[in-house]
Amino acid sequence: MSLVAGSAYLEDPAVLAARAARRPAWLQPAAIGALLGALLALALSWWFVSQQRAERAEDAWNRGVIMQLMAVADAAAAVERRDGTGAEQALQGLLAELTDGDGHFRVVRLSGSRLLASTAPADRDEAAAPRRLSRDEKWLFDLAQGLRAAVETNVSESVFRRRQVNVEALGQDQMRISLPYFVDGQVAGIVLAERERVLQPSRPSAVAATAGVGLAWLAVGGLVLLRRRQGVSPDPAARNWGLFGAGVLVLAAITAGHGLLELGGLERWQRELTDGLSDRFLELREEAAYLGGSLGVAIDPGRDNRWDVDLFQRELGVIGGDGRLREAVLDADIDARAAGLRKAITGNLGLGLLLFAFFALGAATRTGRALRDNRHAYMYVLPAMFGMLILVFFPFAYGITLSFTEQTALNVGEPITELFVGFSNYLRILGDFQVFRSTAEGAVINYQNFYWTLFITICWTVTNVTVGVTFGMLLALALNTRGLRFTNLYRVLLILPWAIPNYITALIWRGMFHQQFGVINQAIQMFGGEPVAWFDGVFSAFMTGLITNGWLSFPFMMVVILGGLQSISQDMYEAATIDGASKWQQFWQITLPSLKPTIIPAVIISVVWTFNMFNVIYLVSGGEPAGANEILITKAYKIAFEEYRYGYAAAYSVVIFLILMVYGVLQTRLTRATEATTS
Amino acid sequence: MSGQGGRRGRRMQHLGLHVFLVAFSLIAVYPVLWVFTVAFSGQQNLAFVELPPDPGFLDRLRAVAPWPAQFSLRNFVDVLDQQPFLRWMLNSAIVAGLTTVLGVFLACTAAYAFSRFQFPGRRAGMMSFLVSQMFPGTLLLVPIYIIITQWLGLGNSFIGLVLVYSVTAIPFCVWMMKGYFDTIPIEIEESAIMDGASRQVIFFKIILPLAKPAVAVTALFSFMTAWNEFILAATFLEEELKYTAPVGLRFFVGGFSSEWGYFAAGSIIISIPVVFLFLYLQKYLVSGLTAGGVKG
Amino acid sequence: MSMRKHIPAVTALVTLVGLFVWGSASAAELVVWHAYRGAERAAFEKVAEIYNAQSSGTKVKLLAVPFDAYADKITAAVPRGRGPDVFIFAQDRLGGWVEGGQTIEPIDFFIEDETLEQFLPNMMDAMTYRGTVYGLPFNYKSITLIYNKALVPTPPATSGELVEVAKRLTNVPTGKFGLAYEFSNYFFHAALMNAFGGAVFDANANPTIDRQENIDAINLMLRWYRDDGFLPADPSAALISTLFNTGNAAMVFSGPWFLAEIQPGVDYGLAPLPKLDELDGEPMRPWLTIEGVYVSAASKHKEEAYDFATFLVSKEAALVMALEGRQLPTNRHAYEDDRVATDPVLAAFRKQLETAVPMPNFAEMTLMWSPVTTAMNRITRGSATPEAALATAQEQVAAGIAALRRSN
Repeated sequence: MSLVAGSAYLEDPAVLAARAARRPAWLQPAAIGALLGALLALALSWWFVSQQRAERAEDAWNRGVIMQLMAVADAAAAVERRDGTGAEQALQGLLAELTDGDGHFRVVRLSGSRLLASTAPADRDEAAAPRRLSRDEKWLFDLAQGLRAAVETNVSESVFRRRQVNVEALGQDQMRISLPYFVDGQVAGIVLAERERVLQPSRPSAVAATAGVGLAWLAVGGLVLLRRRQGVSPDPAARNWGLFGAGVLVLAAITAGHGLLELGGLERWQRELTDGLSDRFLELREEAAYLGGSLGVAIDPGRDNRWDVDLFQRELGVIGGDGRLREAVLDADIDARAAGLRKAITGNLGLGLLLFAFFALGAATRTGRALRDNRHAYMYVLPAMFGMLILVFFPFAYGITLSFTEQTALNVGEPITELFVGFSNYLRILGDFQVFRSTAEGAVINYQNFYWTLFITICWTVTNVTVGVTFGMLLALALNTRGLRFTNLYRVLLILPWAIPNYITALIWRGMFHQQFGVINQAIQMFGGEPVAWFDGVFSAFMTGLITNGWLSFPFMMVVILGGLQSISQDMYEAATIDGASKWQQFWQITLPSLKPTIIPAVIISVVWTFNMFNVIYLVSGGEPAGANEILITKAYKIAFEEYRYGYAAAYSVVIFLILMVYGVLQTRLTRATEATTS
Repeated sequence: MSGQGGRRGRRMQHLGLHVFLVAFSLIAVYPVLWVFTVAFSGQQNLAFVELPPDPGFLDRLRAVAPWPAQFSLRNFVDVLDQQPFLRWMLNSAIVAGLTTVLGVFLACTAAYAFSRFQFPGRRAGMMSFLVSQMFPGTLLLVPIYIIITQWLGLGNSFIGLVLVYSVTAIPFCVWMMKGYFDTIPIEIEESAIMDGASRQVIFFKIILPLAKPAVAVTALFSFMTAWNEFILAATFLEEELKYTAPVGLRFFVGGFSSEWGYFAAGSIIISIPVVFLFLYLQKYLVSGLTAGGVKG
Repeated sequence: MSMRKHIPAVTALVTLVGLFVWGSASAAELVVWHAYRGAERAAFEKVAEIYNAQSSGTKVKLLAVPFDAYADKITAAVPRGRGPDVFIFAQDRLGGWVEGGQTIEPIDFFIEDETLEQFLPNMMDAMTYRGTVYGLPFNYKSITLIYNKALVPTPPATSGELVEVAKRLTNVPTGKFGLAYEFSNYFFHAALMNAFGGAVFDANANPTIDRQENIDAINLMLRWYRDDGFLPADPSAALISTLFNTGNAAMVFSGPWFLAEIQPGVDYGLAPLPKLDELDGEPMRPWLTIEGVYVSAASKHKEEAYDFATFLVSKEAALVMALEGRQLPTNRHAYEDDRVATDPVLAAFRKQLETAVPMPNFAEMTLMWSPVTTAMNRITRGSATPEAALATAQEQVAAGIAALRRSN
């Protein structure tokens, strides 16, 4: 049923189409769509490329400083090896010469919390190095400790998990980079640089992007004009596939062309930067050799260039020890980054095409009209929708994003973009087909398997909702009987399971099922039966959960159905009784169909809650025995909070969500189909 | 059909119903009686069965009956005395009350639109309400914390909690009310429009009173959602006097030791307002449509 | 005209107010979170009051948080820059918080030797993760033997005596048991495991769950449960407490938290866990839970926070927490006080400390509880042999750890 809303604005579609067709060709939706689509695609591409250029310049600069620091680290280690912890003076001079006013450098040794050398202006006269760290230099000490712990972690776990080089932005182009220096294979301290990062400006050409956008707009607008000349006036609200196809080709060509142009520029930029780095390296090597010689220690990067390292202090291998570029490695690096960028540009094209399609296929016009025509309805729905958007869908989007990463508690500090693993979490969850395990006793069900848990969850949901709905219905019908006495008392008693916090009632039920001391076994024994070891068997443990949750959930159903029963007018029953229908027939023909709009949502919501019912399983059976009675949500909880794997748990949650969504869609389709036939 | 046979027949039917209802009430009430037993026992032990050697039927019956060995109000007194329990209940009442008002209001308007208007996105909108319940909330604590505390600046406040709770309660409320609105015949509204009434008047004076049962159910549901929620309240609130009742209740358990007597007593105290609310809302669980209300 | 004569007064007032505000603004307020209740909480509040009275600048404000929500609250709040300045928690979560980052502030730099020397041995190990110190140890807990003096006049000193006494006092049909403890909870079982020389993790946090020593320890427990039959089935904390209070359990292995649950009518005594005859007198070595005082990484007053932390572990605070809060302080000077030395409870746990072992604080610890509990349950229910169950647990934990240690 519907009430016509805003009917004053409805106009004859033909009139609207004619009015739209009179607008100039370049303002038609298709052309506007091409303009906006190209703008989106090219602007995004331009932005990505400019990010990449900035990033590579930053990386190159960072690498230059890291090389410098590695040289200093070698020097510090060499001096300490030669002189022990005694002669620290030599290091101060060496540091000043080697870094040559390039910023503020410090060398900190862990044992004794000593600042061995410093070129910072504050560390002069009374505060001159070498000295003990002062109270407000705790951060230096903590930094050194942190890097030492990172090295220790990487070594003991045999992985490269924690960054061994710390790069920090201090704001206003000030950068602080630090890395550990080793003496006899152990981290003895750190070397630290604070420098101002001055980058060569390099932006991709905005002219090319703008030209591309203009071209796209002109091309599609021209096509529209052409079609008009041919006598075809496209209705902006219709799906113009021909125009759309042509537009797609235009946009793809332009984006691809722009992309290739920029990728070429990017490659040239990177080679330029690497050349610069190699020059810098040669200077550094020479200086270090000279200074080392004057002090009698060897400071040399070695043939494979130990100084050009990544953030895990692994040699990059691009610049050799002689300063020459290893072309193969450099090419591979450029290709790898280009591949990523190519994917991004393709993605941008996709987005641009979507936007274009929105306009060219008439959706924009249709949406605009719909919004205008139905604005009353949308206004009514807006408050609720807005709240849902912020508090439900944003966290939801976060969860989905997380599911494509491998974020764990151990790498939660890293930006999410670096942890992307695509669909591998999902593949691992859904591809787990090892339902049986072979043990000494033969094939045994593997209770940790996803599909077993899914099976149990479905059984759990179906049985619980059936029990809840059945008893809720029976009780509601009973309570709704006219003329029944004491209904108020019954209602209050029957709502108690819902009213009392379920934490304690679940634990009371758990106690009732105790093998020796629980009342249920006592009651069984009272009537001559044998006590049941409830938590020892899969089925009996399942029953404990079912009984407890059934007890907890029937009041809600009862109340909902009771409410629904009030909407059925009594005339229908009177008419049916007069016609001679029995109570049973009345139930099936009148009560049940009239209750549908109330029951169906309650059932769907109940299915969703039961599927995700964490408390009861956790508190009553605990998933016993051996995890056989765990349901998907308890598994997800364990993965998140015990195994610390947030990304994987998010994927698990999304799988749960998808299962429920499929159910929801099927259920609503089914009931709508039955509604259509019965009404 | 009527007369002596009919009345006796009805009483026989009613007897059957009474037996059924009594049986079910006992099932519903039995575990609750154990909660009462623990609460009134004056001690902190969770209830377990104690038997003499070689127990007979009566011994087991005594063990199965939920009655405390000693009767004492000590637990209740301590719970109310040694912590600001009543203050916590008041906080819960404020939060749950606001949630109910906000939740029912937001749900009503949306449900009315879904029921009365046909517009593009109607089905998608309804599905999205349903779908929002389906994502398990286990991992969403941190993003919700960030949104409420950092984006909206509502950390350590009741409003933040109320917003989250209302949004959780809305989907069910919308579906329930929409279903109810669907059963109200459109003729009533059309005749009111023809009489010149504005949409607001129609909504408040005609539709809502007819939908009283649905409002009652959704109000109770929203209230319960907010009243018993623990983890979000415990994470957002940073002052002890602002804690809600479930948070305060959890002080008695967890960690290494648990004081079950206090927990049981506290649970009973917390349940009292809910029971009263239900009693109050009961009178709305009656039919709004009387016979012959539409015709003529 | 009339307004102008008020100006001097107003200026004076504003200046006074300003000075007052400025003066009080320079005092730092520290927020301290804890999960204490009852006597411990009252004692802790008293300690905070003493500190506030003594301190001229810094004032301390306490907030009690329910235990179940505590860890999540810290994990949500502190990395976002909110939360307390100081918080108290056991060492089992330390690894996880350090690895997650931005939660706990390292305090190596602040610590002085005089602070370190006052602690009992092994306490600082629990507060150290990967060579960096993150907290000061506040109190410790371990399990010990608690017995009903009416039923057990002298506590058993060896496992042989234990078995003999327990069997004598057991009558399963009437629900009487000689010994009751949560034998399937690995925290309690660790006392046996450590005695046999077993361990769940090696020094590099790699799992070693299926070692032979662990299997031997479980076999001993199974002998007690199945063959000697003096332990109740499905032991939960609530059941054990009820059994002891009703006189149906003569002895219990539990910790200081249990004492608060004992009813006034029961005359109980404490003794160290027995020595194992099977291992030639090697004592049972229970795990220590050590609660630490941590400085939050998001605190704006880290030095003042550290200052308060050092006060908490000082002798003065330790005495209050021991005598009134019934905690076991880590400050060894506290035990030189007569009142502490003659207190049976405090002395008993101090004695047990000599054979206790701090629980590991690896981040990977949380991964092991669930698989190991499942294994213990399967073993005690008889559905798997110790070898098979522990092997499965080892597989699961190793897989979990491998998933965490992803290389870049």
